Amino acid sequence: MIPIEYFLTFAAILFVIGAYGVMAKPNTLIVLMCTELMLNAANINFVAFSAYMTGAPAVYGQVMVIMTISVAAAEVAVGIAILLNAYKVRKSTNAEDLTSMRW
Amino acid sequence: MIILDYVWLVPLIPVLCFVIVGFLGNKMGPKMAEGGFLVIAGTAASFVIALLCTLEYVGFIGDGGLYPDAVTNSITWFSVGSYTLTFGYYIDILSCLMMLFASFISLMIFTYSLGYMHDQGPRQRRYFAEVALFLTGMLGLAVSSTLLELFIFWEIMGLCSYLLIGFWSFNHPEGDDKADNAASAAKKAFLVTRLGDVCLMGGLFVLFFTMGGLEYTTVFNATNLANAWAANSGLLTLAALLIFGGVIGKSAQFPLLDWLPDAMAGPTTVSALIHAATMVKAGVYLVARCFPLFVLEPNVMLFVAIIGGVTAFFAATMAMNNMNIKKVLAYSTLSQLGYMFLSLGAGGYMMALSIEVTGGQIIIQNPEYFTIGCLGYAAGCLHMVNHAFFKALLFLCSGSVIHANGTEDMRLMGGLYKQMPKTAITMLIGTLSIAGFPFFAGFFSKDLVLDVVFEAFHETSANVNYLFIFLWFLGIVTAFMTAFYMFRLWFMTFMGEYRGHHCHGESPKSMTVPLMILAIFAFGAGFALLLGWDGVFTFFGNHHTEGEVLQWIVGGWDRPNVGIHWIEELFTNWKTYVTIVLVIVAIALAYLMYVKKSINPGKFSKDGQSWLYRTISNRYYFPEIYNQFSWKLGYDVARGVDFIDKQIIDGTVNGLSNAVCGSGDLMSKAQDGNLHTYASVVLGGIVVLFVAVMLLFFYGGVF
Repeated sequence: MIPIEYFLTFAAILFVIGAYGVMAKPNTLIVLMCTELMLNAANINFVAFSAYMTGAPAVYGQVMVIMTISVAAAEVAVGIAILLNAYKVRKSTNAEDLTSMRW
Repeated sequence: MIILDYVWLVPLIPVLCFVIVGFLGNKMGPKMAEGGFLVIAGTAASFVIALLCTLEYVGFIGDGGLYPDAVTNSITWFSVGSYTLTFGYYIDILSCLMMLFASFISLMIFTYSLGYMHDQGPRQRRYFAEVALFLTGMLGLAVSSTLLELFIFWEIMGLCSYLLIGFWSFNHPEGDDKADNAASAAKKAFLVTRLGDVCLMGGLFVLFFTMGGLEYTTVFNATNLANAWAANSGLLTLAALLIFGGVIGKSAQFPLLDWLPDAMAGPTTVSALIHAATMVKAGVYLVARCFPLFVLEPNVMLFVAIIGGVTAFFAATMAMNNMNIKKVLAYSTLSQLGYMFLSLGAGGYMMALSIEVTGGQIIIQNPEYFTIGCLGYAAGCLHMVNHAFFKALLFLCSGSVIHANGTEDMRLMGGLYKQMPKTAITMLIGTLSIAGFPFFAGFFSKDLVLDVVFEAFHETSANVNYLFIFLWFLGIVTAFMTAFYMFRLWFMTFMGEYRGHHCHGESPKSMTVPLMILAIFAFGAGFALLLGWDGVFTFFGNHHTEGEVLQWIVGGWDRPNVGIHWIEELFTNWKTYVTIVLVIVAIALAYLMYVKKSINPGKFSKDGQSWLYRTISNRYYFPEIYNQFSWKLGYDVARGVDFIDKQIIDGTVNGLSNAVCGSGDLMSKAQDGNLHTYASVVLGGIVVLFVAVMLLFFYGGVF
């Protein structure tokens, strides 16, 4: 069996990549994708812990992951819809151009 | 008790008149003469009820047997903790006397006002409403049963005096200067009396603390007083002094005397009301009412006497060279009020020496002193009544003269005897009365006052008696000056040649008839002494000698027909003849100066240039001292307070709000709308939290 550290390290790398993308990428579409990466990093952790866990029903982690995936799907749908409308108004999906929601 | 149960109607009827005239007067139609007739009818009703109550109280009608016990009744007003505040009436001879003369003289003044204020048109409504409220204050003060109730009516009078002195503070018939003058005089009267009222209120607080109540039946009960005196004599003395401070303000005594001459800015009828029937008499009433409290400490009474004597003298000197007919009368009021306090104080001093407070009892040790004290009390009250009559008469006469001439300056009068004989004769009667010409009302009371002071000199110990002989001397000199300046006024107004521009002639009947009625009383009020005055004033409480319990009766407390005895004493006494001679000399001097012109008055004053003349005509620089005092002290204190308010208090508040706003502005810069910033902050926060949790986990030992 592959040791759990491998899964956790992989998930951490994935999460850091996602976090880097959210903070650094100018294109909002890529930012959205990177949030998906971060979510999936968490999902991997869930599944890994679920598989290695003893003494409790093994499906707890998987149930959580399915929940996360469905919520993430909805979130992406809403996010891309907002993004499309923003693009119609601003002719840009750049995060630097979408800064009017402030003081 | 047929009518006495309804004595509360006496102050209630004028207040109803005030409400009707003041708030509904514009609906009454033109025939009501702007409420004048209604107010006069109400005052007449009050007077009749007061008269019937007095008659029942002394036993002429009804079952009798009430006198000399006070008749009192009250309802609960509200309760605070264990103490219940009551509201009620308290009738004894002093209350009856106050009700009678206040309502009667007000009736005369209001009738006179019909003619005097006739040209004021619709403003008469305001005038009549306010004088009705003024009368309510005085009558309520006379019948009230607690000192708190008295204080309420006292303040009502303060308010009304403000309103009425400032009656011409706009649309003055003689122009805007006079209007400003009236407004500032009103303010002055209000503020100066307020100074006294604060003292009075403090006195009531102290009294409440020491006696546990403010009802007359509690405060003036001999046993309660004796116990409180044993427990806390210092506080009771303080209470008496503070109450007298209120009296000094209200009755315009020595340090606070300056508002009364300025109050002449109001209509003359208002001056008559303030000086004769209401307001300043309230102070005398309060001292007479609080006599049982004041006599506990001789020095309080000594203070009262000194203030009275000094005021009598100072005010009289200021009247000597004034050219304004109303101001001369105002100073003479101050002077006569001084006589009243002199009498009450000297008598009270003797009474204070005669009693001893031991073992929860007030024991009269020296009946002889006590009798002198009774005489002082009675003389002060008799002078109050007599003064009310002749001063009302004098003011109304001067109003009649002013009405006809359109000026208050006596230099523009003269020779009016031919044009207005009724006014001249009635005013002569008033002048003779105030001057103390034999057999006129003022003669009896004033000479009794001087008699009391001389007796006090005779009987007291070495150091105090010099003070009393000095006060007696001031009194004698004041009597001389009074006769002089009053006849100076009368001669300058009615004798010689006319120096003015135009005189309308005699005033209408509504003005002269009250003058004639008042003239009868100004002549005859002194003969009230012939009624006997047996125990005519009473205190609530008990007097113990040799175990015997007696009412503490002032007047002829141990002697029948004491009034007749006093008259007898008056005429078998060399001092009386001294004052009579002085009065006649003063009248002759005034005659020579102002009618025959054989003595030039300018010779004494170096034609108005001597420093004495200027000092007096500047009122001893009292207004100046007030101004400087209030300017220097009041203005600087106000500036200091202003600094604290603006810089420190407002500064704190503004600084706090500026700090909040500024930091908010600063923080809002962080909200730049950039997605990456937000995401970085969120992640950074998470990292910080994570690190903190880890550190706690490893080193803190939290988990």
